[in-house]
Amino acid sequence: MSKVVLQAAGLKKSFASPNGPLAVLRAVDLVVHAGESVSIRGSSGSGKTTLLQLLGGLETPEAGEVFINHAVQGLVTPRKLLGHGVGFVFQNYQLMPELTALENVVLAAKIIGQSRVEAKARELLQLVGLGDRLRHLPSQLSGGECQRVAIARALINEPAVILADEPTGNLDETTGKEVMKLLLDVVAQRQTALVLVTHSREFAEKAGRRLVLAGGVLSPA
Amino acid sequence: MVSILGVGLGVAALLVVQTVMNGFGEEHRLRIRESFGDCVVIANTPIEGPDVLMARLKADPAVLSASAYTEGPALARRGAFSGVAFVRGTDPLAKDQPARQYVVAGSFDGLDDGRVILGIGLARTLRVAVGDKIELWSPVMAEQAEQGKAPLPASLEVCAIVRTGFTEVDDRAAIIPLRRFRELWSLGERAHGVTLRLKDPANAVATAARLNVGKTGLNFIPWQEIKKNFLEAIRFEKTMLFFLMFIITLVASFSIGSTLFSAVIRRTREVGVLVALGAQRWQLVGLFGVQGLLIGALGTALGFILTWGILYFREGILNLINSLFGNGDMVANVYQFSKVPLHYDTTDFVVAAAFTLIVTTVAGLVPALWAAGRKPSEAMRDV
Repeated sequence: MSKVVLQAAGLKKSFASPNGPLAVLRAVDLVVHAGESVSIRGSSGSGKTTLLQLLGGLETPEAGEVFINHAVQGLVTPRKLLGHGVGFVFQNYQLMPELTALENVVLAAKIIGQSRVEAKARELLQLVGLGDRLRHLPSQLSGGECQRVAIARALINEPAVILADEPTGNLDETTGKEVMKLLLDVVAQRQTALVLVTHSREFAEKAGRRLVLAGGVLSPA
Repeated sequence: MVSILGVGLGVAALLVVQTVMNGFGEEHRLRIRESFGDCVVIANTPIEGPDVLMARLKADPAVLSASAYTEGPALARRGAFSGVAFVRGTDPLAKDQPARQYVVAGSFDGLDDGRVILGIGLARTLRVAVGDKIELWSPVMAEQAEQGKAPLPASLEVCAIVRTGFTEVDDRAAIIPLRRFRELWSLGERAHGVTLRLKDPANAVATAARLNVGKTGLNFIPWQEIKKNFLEAIRFEKTMLFFLMFIITLVASFSIGSTLFSAVIRRTREVGVLVALGAQRWQLVGLFGVQGLLIGALGTALGFILTWGILYFREGILNLINSLFGNGDMVANVYQFSKVPLHYDTTDFVVAAAFTLIVTTVAGLVPALWAAGRKPSEAMRDV
């Protein structure tokens, strides 16, 4: 078995509601290995996005722990190493509107202190099929192209795992399929783990391991 | 852009007021020095043998020139009009007589024992012009009258009229030759004081104190002490105006804070993304802090340019104000300056720049700290 790149144990999270705390995640355990792709499916409001945010360190769990494997530091909490061990792909791309495709990818590397990354960013954009769109602003790109830029940005820092939150949610069916194929291909090619949150059964089926989040608990599909 | 303009206008308002106030202060200081000398030597009684004292003072390396003077009140009269004149006896041949440059009618060189130079205010009181004659009654003549004598007033022809800008001087000044004064006041060879021109007028306080050492009975008064209250009033006025302009700049800075805060709120989602990508708190604070600093720097530069422009075209601006509000030429009428005086003080510019940069940077940092403190998951939900 390959090494563990993401490990979550006993994750709990609840949100305030007029009727008191609403438990969204009750006790979530998850282990992801290098190069593995895992899909998490669930209905709207089941806590998929919250789980992904906990795994990526964007939210803090009420209980439980998350560890991400860092090439140098080993298993660390993601909150301490945002931008290093985890790459995000969001449903609405979350690109910087004033920056070009190339600059958006370069920015992710520069933020964590890496320099001379332009060649690598070009290579990644080439890899996702945007070699001729480097100088285009997000407003000049289609939804599918924006998501490809987001995938290149998620890969630039060579994370151990990519967390993708409904990456095809804003795309039409054909484009969604293309983007999903690309995402699965590049993570497989680069031996990067993928945790894919989606409500689409079709896309969830494409992952190596399929899980369902219901009642605040993860279980095999 | 609006923020930069706001800062620029605030800085310009501050610096224009400061520079003009400095100009007025400098001009008044110059007038005081020219009217009274860089240093005045006086005593409780008329100075005996002023020539000896002057020779000793002229030998000092800090002294450019020394001249004896006499002064005293007298009654000036022409026909039915009379006024109190403050008469000054001075050497008409002295080339560095400051009154020379304030002559508005006639000629200083025409001054001799039969002539007098009048301040413009006194000339108006007596209704006289150059060439008219006036009578001068000294206190000594009053004493003579008491003793039963019948003194005759001095009949003097007006040879020049001066305007110094100091109302109290212009309304009472009468200048006659020293020799004539001594005669009318029965002073013999004595003088009431000696005025000194110094090589370094700015250092007059120290020079006066040094010269005073060992000269018992004499008082060396530097020009800064002669009209101390007046100079203090100008300084106080400048300080108050600085305070008012400071508030204007502060208001401009608050507008920057508000603009930056709006900008940060508008970009909350992007701030969240930056955090998700690994941006540290200090990077976000730095990003928006630098934005504030940049606005401050550009605003200050714009303020400097505006200051220069406003001051360069100040006469035209003043003429426009005068024509719009019908006040006439206030600067000439009230202050007797031919143009709005200026004095650029580097300290004012440095203080204005430093203050603006600090305030705008802080104005940028506050919203940045707020943005950096938000949870990225919440921030990214904002649209």
